Amino acid sequence: MSAAAATVTVVETAAESPAPLRPVKSLDANSRRWLDELRRPETARQEAIERLHALLLRAAHFEVARRRPGLPHLRGNELEDIALEAADDALVSVLRRLDDFRGDSRFTTWAYKFALYEAAVKLRRREWQGRELPLEPEDWTLFSDTAPTPEREAELRELVGELKRAVGETLTPHQRTVLVAVALNGVPIDVLAERLDTTRGALYKTLHDARTKLRRHLAGRGLAIDPTTEEGT
Amino acid sequence: MERPDLKQSLTRLLGPGEPEVGCDACFDYLDRYVELELAGTDADAGVPGLRAHLAGCPACREEYESLRALVGGEQAL
Repeated sequence: MSAAAATVTVVETAAESPAPLRPVKSLDANSRRWLDELRRPETARQEAIERLHALLLRAAHFEVARRRPGLPHLRGNELEDIALEAADDALVSVLRRLDDFRGDSRFTTWAYKFALYEAAVKLRRREWQGRELPLEPEDWTLFSDTAPTPEREAELRELVGELKRAVGETLTPHQRTVLVAVALNGVPIDVLAERLDTTRGALYKTLHDARTKLRRHLAGRGLAIDPTTEEGT
Repeated sequence: MERPDLKQSLTRLLGPGEPEVGCDACFDYLDRYVELELAGTDADAGVPGLRAHLAGCPACREEYESLRALVGGEQAL
Protein backbone atom coordinates (compact mmCIF):
# COMPACT_ATOMS: atom_id res chain seq x y z
CA MET A 1 0.00 0.00 0.00
CA SER A 2 1.16 3.49 -0.57
CA ALA A 3 -0.40 6.35 1.25
CA ALA A 4 -0.88 8.11 -2.03
CA ALA A 5 -2.72 5.25 -3.67
CA ALA A 6 -4.71 3.86 -0.77
CA THR A 7 -8.13 2.69 -1.87
CA VAL A 8 -10.86 0.81 -0.08
CA THR A 9 -10.18 -2.89 -0.40
CA VAL A 10 -12.12 -5.41 1.59
CA VAL A 11 -10.16 -8.67 1.71
CA GLU A 12 -13.14 -10.65 2.83
CA THR A 13 -16.42 -8.84 2.89
CA ALA A 14 -17.38 -8.12 6.43
CA ALA A 15 -20.97 -8.62 7.49
CA GLU A 16 -21.10 -4.87 7.52
CA SER A 17 -18.19 -3.62 5.51
CA PRO A 18 -17.06 -0.06 6.07
CA ALA A 19 -19.52 2.41 4.64
CA PRO A 20 -18.59 4.02 1.34
CA LEU A 21 -17.29 7.52 1.50
CA ARG A 22 -20.01 9.85 2.69
CA PRO A 23 -20.52 13.53 2.09
CA VAL A 24 -18.27 15.72 4.16
CA LYS A 25 -19.66 16.11 7.64
CA SER A 26 -19.95 19.41 9.35
CA LEU A 27 -16.37 19.94 10.34
CA ASP A 28 -15.06 21.18 13.63
CA ALA A 29 -13.77 24.73 13.41
CA ASN A 30 -10.11 23.79 13.44
CA SER A 31 -10.49 21.22 10.64
CA ARG A 32 -12.51 23.69 8.58
CA ARG A 33 -9.79 26.28 9.00
CA TRP A 34 -7.11 23.86 7.86
CA LEU A 35 -9.09 22.98 4.73
CA ASP A 36 -9.93 26.60 3.90
CA GLU A 37 -6.35 27.74 4.27
CA LEU A 38 -4.85 24.81 2.34
CA ARG A 39 -7.29 25.37 -0.54
CA ARG A 40 -6.30 28.98 -1.08
CA PRO A 41 -4.34 29.95 -4.19
CA GLU A 42 -0.72 28.84 -4.13
CA THR A 43 0.78 32.08 -2.88
CA ALA A 44 -1.84 32.52 -0.17
CA ARG A 45 -1.58 29.04 1.29
CA GLN A 46 2.15 28.96 1.87
CA GLU A 47 1.89 29.74 5.57
CA ALA A 48 -0.67 26.94 6.06
CA ILE A 49 1.57 24.51 4.20
CA GLU A 50 4.46 25.40 6.46
CA ARG A 51 2.30 24.81 9.54
CA LEU A 52 1.13 21.51 8.08
CA HIS A 53 4.70 20.44 7.45
CA ALA A 54 5.59 21.27 11.06
CA LEU A 55 2.63 19.18 12.23
CA LEU A 56 3.70 16.25 10.06
CA LEU A 57 7.30 16.55 11.20
CA ARG A 58 6.13 16.37 14.81
CA ALA A 59 4.31 13.11 14.03
CA ALA A 60 7.35 11.74 12.20
CA HIS A 61 9.57 12.58 15.18
CA PHE A 62 7.06 10.83 17.42
CA GLU A 63 7.34 7.66 15.33
CA VAL A 64 11.13 7.86 15.24
CA ALA A 65 11.25 8.22 19.01
CA ARG A 66 8.97 5.19 19.48
CA ARG A 67 11.18 3.02 17.30
CA ARG A 68 14.54 4.40 18.34
CA PRO A 69 15.27 1.70 20.99
CA GLY A 70 15.08 -0.91 18.24
CA LEU A 71 17.45 1.02 16.00
CA PRO A 72 20.63 1.44 18.08
CA HIS A 73 22.87 1.41 15.02
CA LEU A 74 21.28 4.54 13.53
CA ARG A 75 22.83 7.87 14.43
CA GLY A 76 20.78 10.88 15.41
CA ASN A 77 21.33 12.70 12.15
CA GLU A 78 20.21 9.65 10.16
CA LEU A 79 17.04 9.49 12.20
CA GLU A 80 16.48 13.20 11.72
CA ASP A 81 16.90 12.78 7.97
CA ILE A 82 14.34 9.95 7.98
CA ALA A 83 11.87 12.06 9.97
CA LEU A 84 12.29 14.99 7.60
CA GLU A 85 11.91 12.80 4.53
CA ALA A 86 8.78 11.21 6.03
CA ALA A 87 7.28 14.64 6.72
CA ASP A 88 8.10 15.78 3.17
CA ASP A 89 6.49 12.70 1.61
CA ALA A 90 3.49 12.91 3.91
CA LEU A 91 2.98 16.56 2.96
CA VAL A 92 2.80 15.61 -0.71
CA SER A 93 0.28 12.83 0.07
CA VAL A 94 -1.89 15.04 2.28
CA LEU A 95 -2.06 17.85 -0.26
CA ARG A 96 -2.78 15.40 -3.08
CA ARG A 97 -5.57 13.74 -1.11
CA LEU A 98 -7.09 16.81 0.50
CA ASP A 99 -10.43 16.15 -1.18
CA ASP A 100 -10.51 12.66 0.39
CA PHE A 101 -10.86 14.16 3.85
CA ARG A 102 -14.50 13.59 4.80
CA GLY A 103 -14.51 14.90 8.34
CA ASP A 104 -14.69 11.43 9.90
CA SER A 105 -11.98 12.58 12.28
CA ARG A 106 -10.25 15.83 13.07
CA PHE A 107 -8.07 17.05 10.24
CA THR A 108 -4.94 16.75 12.36
CA THR A 109 -5.66 13.07 13.17
CA TRP A 110 -6.22 12.39 9.47
CA ALA A 111 -2.98 14.14 8.54
CA TYR A 112 -0.94 12.49 11.29
CA LYS A 113 -1.53 9.02 9.88
CA PHE A 114 0.27 9.93 6.67
CA ALA A 115 3.40 11.01 8.55
CA LEU A 116 3.32 8.01 10.89
CA TYR A 117 2.92 5.68 7.92
CA GLU A 118 5.77 7.24 5.97
CA ALA A 119 8.08 7.22 8.99
CA ALA A 120 7.21 3.64 9.94
CA VAL A 121 7.78 2.33 6.42
CA LYS A 122 11.12 4.14 6.08
CA LEU A 123 12.32 2.94 9.47
CA ARG A 124 11.32 -0.68 8.84
CA ARG A 125 13.07 -0.60 5.49
CA ARG A 126 16.15 1.02 7.03
CA GLU A 127 16.20 -1.63 9.74
CA TRP A 128 16.23 -4.39 7.13
CA GLN A 129 18.48 -2.63 4.64
CA GLY A 130 21.24 -4.94 3.43
CA ARG A 131 19.86 -7.91 5.36
CA GLU A 132 18.90 -11.10 3.66
CA LEU A 133 15.23 -11.82 4.24
CA PRO A 134 14.64 -15.08 6.13
CA LEU A 135 12.25 -16.63 3.63
CA GLU A 136 13.17 -20.11 4.89
CA PRO A 137 13.56 -22.30 6.77
CA GLU A 138 10.31 -21.90 8.59
CA ASP A 139 10.73 -20.77 12.16
CA TRP A 140 8.26 -22.81 14.20
CA THR A 141 9.74 -21.88 17.58
CA LEU A 142 6.60 -19.90 18.35
CA PHE A 143 4.90 -23.24 18.82
CA SER A 144 7.77 -25.17 20.42
CA ASP A 145 6.95 -24.76 24.10
CA THR A 146 5.35 -27.61 25.96
CA ALA A 147 1.72 -27.60 26.95
CA PRO A 148 0.52 -27.96 30.56
CA THR A 149 -0.79 -31.49 30.17
CA PRO A 150 0.33 -34.50 28.10
CA GLU A 151 -3.06 -34.49 26.37
CA ARG A 152 -2.80 -30.86 25.38
CA GLU A 153 0.80 -31.34 24.30
CA ALA A 154 -0.26 -34.17 22.01
CA GLU A 155 -3.01 -31.97 20.55
CA LEU A 156 -0.57 -29.17 19.91
CA ARG A 157 1.95 -31.53 18.34
CA GLU A 158 -0.75 -32.81 15.99
CA LEU A 159 -1.89 -29.28 15.20
CA VAL A 160 1.59 -28.03 14.43
CA GLY A 161 2.33 -31.18 12.41
CA GLU A 162 -0.75 -30.58 10.29
CA LEU A 163 0.13 -26.93 9.88
CA LYS A 164 3.64 -27.79 8.70
CA ARG A 165 2.22 -30.32 6.27
CA ALA A 166 -0.37 -27.88 4.99
CA VAL A 167 2.21 -25.12 4.50
CA GLY A 168 4.28 -27.50 2.41
CA GLU A 169 1.49 -29.18 0.48
CA THR A 170 -1.49 -26.88 0.07
CA LEU A 171 0.02 -23.45 -0.52
CA THR A 172 1.35 -22.13 -3.80
CA PRO A 173 5.07 -21.27 -3.76
CA HIS A 174 4.22 -17.56 -3.58
CA GLN A 175 1.71 -18.06 -0.78
CA ARG A 176 4.27 -20.12 1.11
CA THR A 177 6.97 -17.48 0.67
CA VAL A 178 4.70 -14.71 1.98
CA LEU A 179 3.27 -16.71 4.86
CA VAL A 180 6.63 -18.01 6.06
CA ALA A 181 8.35 -14.64 5.77
CA VAL A 182 5.63 -12.53 7.39
CA ALA A 183 3.72 -14.84 9.73
CA LEU A 184 6.50 -17.17 10.86
CA ASN A 185 9.80 -15.40 10.37
CA GLY A 186 8.72 -11.86 11.25
CA VAL A 187 9.65 -10.00 8.08
CA PRO A 188 7.67 -6.71 7.92
CA ILE A 189 5.15 -6.92 5.12
CA ASP A 190 6.20 -3.65 3.50
CA VAL A 191 9.86 -4.72 3.52
CA LEU A 192 8.88 -7.93 1.74
CA ALA A 193 6.70 -5.95 -0.67
CA GLU A 194 9.63 -3.75 -1.60
CA ARG A 195 11.92 -6.75 -2.21
CA LEU A 196 9.28 -8.54 -4.29
CA ASP A 197 8.40 -5.36 -6.18
CA THR A 198 4.76 -5.46 -5.20
CA THR A 199 2.45 -3.67 -2.79
CA ARG A 200 1.63 -4.23 0.85
CA GLY A 201 -2.06 -4.62 0.00
CA ALA A 202 -1.33 -7.27 -2.64
CA LEU A 203 0.88 -9.23 -0.24
CA TYR A 204 -1.71 -9.08 2.51
CA LYS A 205 -4.29 -10.51 0.10
CA THR A 206 -1.87 -13.37 -0.60
CA LEU A 207 -1.33 -13.86 3.13
CA HIS A 208 -5.08 -13.86 3.70
CA ASP A 209 -5.62 -16.49 1.00
CA ALA A 210 -2.86 -18.67 2.48
CA ARG A 211 -4.33 -18.40 5.97
CA THR A 212 -7.77 -19.33 4.63
CA LYS A 213 -6.31 -22.45 3.02
CA LEU A 214 -4.59 -23.46 6.26
CA ARG A 215 -7.76 -22.98 8.29
CA ARG A 216 -9.73 -25.07 5.82
CA HIS A 217 -7.06 -27.76 5.93
CA LEU A 218 -7.25 -27.91 9.73
CA ALA A 219 -11.05 -27.89 9.69
CA GLY A 220 -11.05 -30.76 7.21
CA ARG A 221 -9.08 -32.81 9.70
CA GLY A 222 -11.20 -31.88 12.67
CA LEU A 223 -8.53 -29.56 13.97
CA ALA A 224 -10.38 -26.32 13.44
CA ILE A 225 -9.16 -23.72 15.82
CA ASP A 226 -10.25 -20.19 16.33
CA PRO A 227 -7.58 -18.32 18.19
CA THR A 228 -9.82 -15.33 18.58
CA THR A 229 -12.31 -17.23 20.66
CA GLU A 230 -10.46 -20.21 22.09
CA GLU A 231 -10.03 -19.94 25.81
CA GLY A 232 -7.23 -21.22 27.96
CA THR A 233 -4.62 -21.39 25.25
CA MET B 1 -0.44 -22.90 32.86
CA GLU B 2 -0.05 -23.07 29.11
CA ARG B 3 2.15 -20.42 27.53
CA PRO B 4 0.00 -17.30 27.26
CA ASP B 5 1.13 -16.35 23.78
CA LEU B 6 -0.01 -19.48 21.96
CA LYS B 7 -3.25 -17.76 21.03
CA GLN B 8 -1.21 -14.85 19.73
CA SER B 9 1.08 -17.20 17.79
CA LEU B 10 -1.88 -18.91 16.15
CA THR B 11 -3.41 -15.56 15.23
CA ARG B 12 -0.10 -14.46 13.76
CA LEU B 13 0.01 -17.58 11.61
CA LEU B 14 -3.66 -18.17 10.82
CA GLY B 15 -4.97 -14.61 10.94
CA PRO B 16 -8.04 -13.37 12.77
CA GLY B 17 -10.38 -15.92 11.22
CA GLU B 18 -13.15 -13.41 10.71
CA PRO B 19 -14.04 -10.89 8.01
CA GLU B 20 -11.49 -8.14 7.78
CA VAL B 21 -10.62 -5.15 5.66
CA GLY B 22 -7.37 -5.00 3.70
CA CYS B 23 -4.36 -2.76 4.34
CA ASP B 24 -5.61 0.03 2.07
CA ALA B 25 -9.02 0.29 3.73
CA CYS B 26 -7.31 0.07 7.11
CA PHE B 27 -5.28 3.14 6.24
CA ASP B 28 -8.34 4.98 4.96
CA TYR B 29 -10.38 4.41 8.10
CA LEU B 30 -7.67 4.36 10.77
CA ASP B 31 -8.16 7.98 11.88
CA ARG B 32 -11.89 7.46 12.31
CA TYR B 33 -11.35 4.20 14.21
CA VAL B 34 -8.82 5.75 16.60
CA GLU B 35 -11.01 8.74 17.38
CA LEU B 36 -14.02 6.50 18.02
CA GLU B 37 -11.91 4.43 20.40
CA LEU B 38 -10.56 7.47 22.21
CA ALA B 39 -14.11 8.80 22.53
CA GLY B 40 -15.08 5.58 24.27
CA THR B 41 -17.54 4.56 21.56
CA ASP B 42 -17.78 1.21 19.77
CA ALA B 43 -15.06 1.59 17.15
CA ASP B 44 -15.53 -1.99 15.94
CA ALA B 45 -19.16 -1.27 15.09
CA GLY B 46 -18.18 2.04 13.52
CA VAL B 47 -15.59 0.48 11.24
CA PRO B 48 -16.41 -3.23 10.81
CA GLY B 49 -13.48 -5.45 9.95
CA LEU B 50 -10.75 -3.07 11.02
CA ARG B 51 -10.15 -4.56 14.47
CA ALA B 52 -9.81 -7.99 12.86
CA HIS B 53 -7.30 -6.64 10.37
CA LEU B 54 -5.22 -5.13 13.15
CA ALA B 55 -5.07 -8.58 14.75
CA GLY B 56 -3.75 -10.11 11.54
CA CYS B 57 -1.45 -7.40 10.15
CA PRO B 58 1.52 -6.46 12.36
CA ALA B 59 2.50 -3.46 10.22
CA CYS B 60 -0.96 -1.88 10.31
CA ARG B 61 -1.15 -2.65 14.02
CA GLU B 62 2.08 -0.73 14.65
CA GLU B 63 0.73 2.28 12.79
CA TYR B 64 -2.56 2.07 14.68
CA GLU B 65 -0.72 1.97 18.01
CA SER B 66 1.36 5.00 17.02
CA LEU B 67 -1.66 7.05 15.93
CA ARG B 68 -3.57 6.12 19.07
CA ALA B 69 -0.62 7.03 21.27
CA LEU B 70 0.01 10.32 19.48
CA VAL B 71 -3.61 11.51 19.42
CA GLY B 72 -4.38 10.09 22.84
CA GLY B 73 -1.35 11.85 24.28
CA GLU B 74 -2.42 15.17 22.83
CA GLN B 75 -5.95 14.78 24.18
CA ALA B 76 -4.54 14.08 27.62
CA LEU B 77 -2.69 17.40 27.67
